[in-house]
Amino acid sequence: MSLLELNNVTKEFGKLAALESVDIGVEEGEVLGIVGPNGSGKTTLINVISGYYRPTRGTIFFNGKKISGLRPDRIAAGGIVRTFQSNVLFEGATVLESVMVGSYLQYKTNSWQAFFDTKAYRDEFEEVVGRLIELLKTFELFNDTFLPAAGLSHGYQRMLGIAMALLAKPKVLLLDEPTTGMNHEEAMFVVENIKKISEQGVTVILIEHNMKVLLDLVTRVVVLNFGNKIAEGKPEEVMNNQEVIEAYLGTEQI
Amino acid sequence: MRYIDYKTLLPRSVAGLLVAPFLIFPLFSTNLATLSMFILSGIWAIAVMGFTLILRTGQFSLGQAAFMTIGGYTSAILTVQLGWPFWPSFLLAGVVSGIIALIIGSVVLRVGGVYFSIITLALGEVVRIIAMQWEPVTRGSRGLGTAPPDPISLGGFEINFAASAVPYYYFMILLVAITGLVFWQIGRSRLGGTFFSIAANPILAEHQGIHLMKYRVIAFTVAGVFTGFAGSYYAHFLSTMTPYMVGLWESIQIMIMSIVGGISSLVGGPLAGALVLYALGIYLSRLPVYGIQQLLFGAVVVLVLLFLPKGTGLVDLWDKFWRKVFREPDFYEIPSEEPSQE
Repeated sequence: MSLLELNNVTKEFGKLAALESVDIGVEEGEVLGIVGPNGSGKTTLINVISGYYRPTRGTIFFNGKKISGLRPDRIAAGGIVRTFQSNVLFEGATVLESVMVGSYLQYKTNSWQAFFDTKAYRDEFEEVVGRLIELLKTFELFNDTFLPAAGLSHGYQRMLGIAMALLAKPKVLLLDEPTTGMNHEEAMFVVENIKKISEQGVTVILIEHNMKVLLDLVTRVVVLNFGNKIAEGKPEEVMNNQEVIEAYLGTEQI
Repeated sequence: MRYIDYKTLLPRSVAGLLVAPFLIFPLFSTNLATLSMFILSGIWAIAVMGFTLILRTGQFSLGQAAFMTIGGYTSAILTVQLGWPFWPSFLLAGVVSGIIALIIGSVVLRVGGVYFSIITLALGEVVRIIAMQWEPVTRGSRGLGTAPPDPISLGGFEINFAASAVPYYYFMILLVAITGLVFWQIGRSRLGGTFFSIAANPILAEHQGIHLMKYRVIAFTVAGVFTGFAGSYYAHFLSTMTPYMVGLWESIQIMIMSIVGGISSLVGGPLAGALVLYALGIYLSRLPVYGIQQLLFGAVVVLVLLFLPKGTGLVDLWDKFWRKVFREPDFYEIPSEEPSQE
């Protein structure tokens, strides 16, 4: 059994099926790309996995346990953490405050211990903050630690989102278009970091339009169109698949 | 609203030191009117802290006065009807109020938002109607005449509440200090950060693994406990508990005090808001114009919302003043030039 398994997952909004009987198996340690034209159900897929939407039909298994129907916080605590397509921030928070909240899932001490500031909590706090600073340095956010997150450039806000997701100690990281609106260098910087994340044993699922990024990064691609999975396989193969080309470019009319 | 306010620690500590002489105020004056003004504003400050804590989780409670009624009636019924001594009744008032908050919160906070506000608004009325109708226990609209807290002897030194208002004053200080300490510690511990994140962006917070409902219930319950204590103390200070003492207007007053004081501080803001507005209210009630207090409170809220938006209030005004005097950089400002990228 795969690490993350979607069985026959359907999500309907009224009569519109955003996802129709999708089966996907994600193996541990792989980088899975999800592609498809606009409105093909990519973001819905991430929303269904992360618990933001409940699937209308079908089940999702993670590590052999059913997770479909659970609340987002339970799924995040279980190890599936996502980022958002747009820049979603804590309103009014600085970079430090944002990553601090992101790191709460790492604590083993409970709220009581934190409230009474016990030694166990303080030790753990120092440990977590150490990891947090390291991560800020990795994403070149360290110099902006005390600045409002809303003041960061678009690219760095996206990186902050990824850093926050990583701090929640994910086993599976869901990235919803991590490089949108970035220039080439920024995008490549993100790609390098995703590679590093993957090398640390985190399974990555990402939605991406940038073909360079895809070919560079992913081990496998799933193509969605109108909520259906139309192709699956190595990126080079899938890109030459006739159905995929038609989905993206349309059919030739003679 | 901030979560880690390193920049405000010093100015706010200094503000705390500036009001420290109030700790020994009764040495200078034992004027009953002045003392009771301070005692009552301290009681309101506790309720306002509770309201602010709930607001920190993004919920707007319009029924905080209900928990004062619950606390007040709990200890009044225990002492008058069952003949309990004051101190255990006082403790139980907080517990009962907290349990009711826990039960109501667990149900109502499932929906949250506007529904929460409306249901808490209704809660205040429900509690008042129960107090009116449950004649055999609450004596209806006549209310219960409460006795002052029992005297305490501390190493041969007797503290007698019946004799003067001074013991009430010191116990109020103690109660506010304990409540303030708890709330301050909540604010700077992980709970405070969690509350902050829930108000700042509930969807993101939930996807970062925070159980929204759990933490909203925690905030509501903690507020309920301390508001219950405040209500009990209120009833015994005024030596009566009637259904008319705290109602909708008081709930709104708590909200106004919180907004005016500023919600960026869980302790200083409520204290400042309660003290300033309660004093203003006392002064206004002496004027021979009916309803002028409500009218001017409304005007104050409009002014605060206009000139101190985004939850800032008196405490933030003080921070700003501090930064201006000591020429510290404004923490909230985004530097105009990009941080060195070359």
